[in-house]
Formats: sequence, C-alpha cells, structure tokens
Amino acid sequence: MKRIFENLRPTHKAGVLVGILGFIATFAGSPYQGSQFTIDAQELARVVEATTDHVNPEELADWIIQGKTDFRLIDLRTAQEYGEYHIPGAENTGLTALPDAGLQKTEKIVLYSEGGIHSAQAWFLLKAKGYLAVYMLFGGLGGWKDEVLFPALADNPTPAQTVRFGRMKEVSKFFGGAPRTGASGPAQTPSYTLPKVEIPQSVEASSARAPKKKKEGC
Amino acid sequence: MQADAQSLAAEPVDARTQETLHRTARPYMHPYLAGFGLGLVLLAAFVIMGRGLGASGAFSSLVAVGADAIAPAHARANAFYAEYLGDGTVNPLMDWLVFEVLGVFVGGFLSGVLAGRVRTGVERGPLISKGMRLFYAFVGGGLMGIGAKLARGCTSGQALTGGAMLNVGSWAFMMCVFAGAYATAYFIRRQWQ
Amino acid sequence: MNAPFYKFGLFGDNVSLIVAFFIGIGFGFFLERAGFGSARKLTAQFYFTDLTVFKVMFTAIITAMLGLFYLSWMGLVDLSLVYLTPTYLLPQVAGGIILGVGFVVGGYCPGTSCVAVSTGKLDGVVYLLGVIAGIVVFGELFPLLGDFYTATPMGQITLPKLLNVPYGLVVFLVSLLAVGGFAGATWVEKKMASRKGEQPL
Repeated sequence: MKRIFENLRPTHKAGVLVGILGFIATFAGSPYQGSQFTIDAQELARVVEATTDHVNPEELADWIIQGKTDFRLIDLRTAQEYGEYHIPGAENTGLTALPDAGLQKTEKIVLYSEGGIHSAQAWFLLKAKGYLAVYMLFGGLGGWKDEVLFPALADNPTPAQTVRFGRMKEVSKFFGGAPRTGASGPAQTPSYTLPKVEIPQSVEASSARAPKKKKEGC
Repeated sequence: MQADAQSLAAEPVDARTQETLHRTARPYMHPYLAGFGLGLVLLAAFVIMGRGLGASGAFSSLVAVGADAIAPAHARANAFYAEYLGDGTVNPLMDWLVFEVLGVFVGGFLSGVLAGRVRTGVERGPLISKGMRLFYAFVGGGLMGIGAKLARGCTSGQALTGGAMLNVGSWAFMMCVFAGAYATAYFIRRQWQ
Repeated sequence: MNAPFYKFGLFGDNVSLIVAFFIGIGFGFFLERAGFGSARKLTAQFYFTDLTVFKVMFTAIITAMLGLFYLSWMGLVDLSLVYLTPTYLLPQVAGGIILGVGFVVGGYCPGTSCVAVSTGKLDGVVYLLGVIAGIVVFGELFPLLGDFYTATPMGQITLPKLLNVPYGLVVFLVSLLAVGGFAGATWVEKKMASRKGEQPL
C-alpha cells in the first residue's frame, strides 16, 4: 500500500491527503467547539461582586448626551411598555429574541428592564453564549427614573452630593425630566408623568440615523 | 522565444498554432499550486480578520462616494448608496475592501513583472476586432456589476469565501454562475475562438 | 489562541486596513500566477479547453475550508465570529446567472479584472468601467427593486445546517466533489486537446 502511495504523482498524493482529511472531518464533530463558552461560575461570580457588569444610569446618560455610538442599548420589556417610554436610543428586543437580534459578540451591549431581574437573566444568557462586553443598567428603568429623569437631593446632602445634584438637574432637563423638589425630598413618591418618547430629538434621530457603514460582506 | 502575440492576433491564425503560442509564451503556475496559495490567503483572512475576500464591494464604495460627490442629497436618500456611505463618521473609502482591492492591483502587477507577463494589449480571440472586444468587455462588466450587487458578492466574495464556509446562498450562487456562463458561452464563441 | 484576531480586538480598524492591503497583494499575486489576468484563459473554462478556473477555484475552496474546519475544531479559531453572508436565495440565484453571462461576455470577474488592469490589459480597464457603470445602474434602479432584493431570506445558514447533517460530513463530500472534479477536468482537457489535434489544419 505504501509503495503504491509513494509511486503516485504529487497531485494524486495531494488528492489522497484531501480525501483523508475530509474523511476524518466527518467524524471529528462540530467545528464550533472553539466558540463554546464554558461558564466559569467563579469568574462570573467575581464579575458580579466587583460590579463590573453594571453601568450606572449617570454613566449611560453621559454616553447618550455625548452622542457615543460605540454601544447598543437593549430594552427588554414589552413593545407596549417600550412605546410608552424608552431610554433614547434603546432598541426593543425581548429575552427570547435576544440571540437572533444581530448582536456582535465583541460590541458593547447595555441591557435594561423595569428593575433588574430580566436584565440579569439576559446578561447570563448572553455571557453564556460568549458575548464579551455585556452590561446591565444598574437599577433598570427604575434607577434611570430615580437618578436621571427625576433626580432628588438627599435631606442632609454632603458637598459632593450637592455638586452631583446640580449636574443631574441639567441632565434631567436634557432628557425631558425634572428634578424633584419639595421639602420631603426623595422620600416622597413623586407624581409625575413620564416624558414623551420623542425627546430628545437629536439623540433619537442620531440613533435612527443613516445606517452604520457596511463593514462586512463583499 | 517570446512571440509577439499582439501582432499575430491581428490576423486569423489556425487553432493549433494559436494554442502552441499560448503555451510557450506563458508558463503559468500549476493550477493546484496557485489554488493552494489562494486558499491560504483566504484562510489567512479568516483567521486574522474573521472575514473573507471580496472585490465588488470596493467598487460599490467608489460609486457611492462618486454619487455623494455629484448629488449628495440623492445619494443619501438612496438606500443602496447610503449603506456604503455610512453615517459620516468614517470616510467610506477607508474601507477594508477598498484597501484589499488596491492590494490586488499591486499583487497582480508584482506577479506579472516577475513572470514577464506585463504587456499592454487587448485580450481577444482571433476572429473578433479590438473594438468589438472592448464593447463586449464593457457590457460584460456592466452585467457583472448588476449581478454582483444582486447576489451580494462576486466570485471572490461569494464563491470563494462563501464556498469555503459552506454558505448556502454562496453555493447556489456559484452553481448559477457556472450555469449562466456555460449557457451563454456557445452564443458568443466568436469572441474567444 | 484568540482568533479571528481582529474580532478579539487584537488590533483596530486602521491596522486592519493595512492587513487588507497585504492580503490583497497575496490575492492578486496568486490570481496572476494562475494566469487569471488573461480573459482568454478565464473563458477557456467555458469551452472545456482549459479548466484552470475550476481547478484553482476549488483547490482554494477546499484548502480554506479544511483549514478553517480543523483550526476551529481545535479551538484555535472561533468559527462563529467569522462573518457568514446572509442568504437571500432568489436574488442570489438571479445575480449568479447574470454574473455568469457577464463573465463570459466580459471575460473577467471583478477580482481578476484588477489583475488584468495591472498587467496592462486594456479590455480589463474597459471591463472595470463597465462594472462601475453596472453598479451605478443598479444603485439608481435600487428603489424600483423593492422587495426582490430581500426576497427569500434564509439568514446566515450553512449547508450542514440546511441539510441537518454533521458539518464534517459536508466537508468530506465537498472534498470528494473537488477531487473527483479534478480527475474529471483532467480527462476533459485531454479529450479536448486530442480532438483538436485530430482536426485537419
């Protein structure tokens, strides 16, 4: 057998090699093994503890105001809730539709839901699939309302808190909200109406902007 | 023994002599070897960039930029051009495919120079005039442009890249290219034979 | 190993353009090596006299396919990060047929025409102008295309997924197809050459 192989012309040898490689491939199993992300429970726990999996509403507000486009904001609630109000620039994708939402594994993804439960579940889902840069909005939409839309000053504020509140007052106006005033401060449950979805025009428009330049494909 | 193929192409030459000239004047690399090299380049693109090769996309970018320069409002309103122009944050010509195609020009030239195959002229069969050949080249190119955009790629992008990745659409595309080409070959054999 | 390197952030967009340039050089180099700067050699494929196009194309496909398969099987490459063009069956079939016609009429495909241009072929230059014109026509008529452009979308789908068979099996079948095709091509070329030899001068 070996002598027959040695006597073959080089092209025929190559052909046999190709055939063998192909044959082995049949039984080799899935080539997607390189992309199976093993859930390292310890690692994930560490990330959670260090809160590096979170993004604060303040930070997110800054990104939006600065017009940053290097991240994707995902609203995990129902379409109706999304229609009533959503953080400007957010895309509405339910939990089940998440894997097919066309998210790149290497792009920055920020998830939010009403509170924190759904976004936490979605976070695990995406991390398990090997998405590298997934973050949850700390406090969800509730946190967004409390800190960005309707910021309030604590009863006995530290100087730092006062400065921060001053800044958040402007930020809240940008998003169509209003700082909470009144003697009872944050303890009072404010009665407010959520700002309309169309604000701020520039941000909304820029997220529904011209399509990002076609990067892949032929 | 470099035959002056250009002057000979001007007069009808019998088929066998034509073939002999063809063979001695151009010693090409063995097809399997060249294919292997090409495959390695493609593999390098997969491993380094996570994408395959392409060609037509670069020209789409070029056209989009041209359209934008001539009639910006029209270009941005057109969904096809807009895809290549993007949102204005990146210059459309700073595109992977544009640079890749520039490399193709350079690489082809390099190989041609090393093999003594750089020569001006018009490639055509012995039975057709230069003018007709150029006409066909233009028409063929036009068809190619349309076909490539419909199919989201040309032979480099779809057939080679998609073929290696076992992409369904690419394989369907590849078979149709061969089918269309073989079907038409008979009707314009005068151009080549 | 974290590959594809670009997808893992090993380098940025600007370096990727330099990478593109060098990959393009390799691409163009081997295209010309194979003789694809010549329209006559390319179109000889469709007259069965010179099947280099088939041989080169399929050798490249199985080289890259086997390489990609084994590298990702070994975990050295993350196959799911390599971009797979979404399938739109109907426009791709239509585009393929049109492209095939254009191939034989024009004598080149966009990649090979670049090689033809850089080795001095005037018809390559005219061909490229034609390609640009074709793209302009397509772009202008694009709104009229409407839904056809996105008809029959199948998403990002591979043959193994479509046929519901192991990936490796399709790799094997394609390899067999290629090797069988090469044997057949050699036979056809010999037949055509001997037939030509029998023709009286």
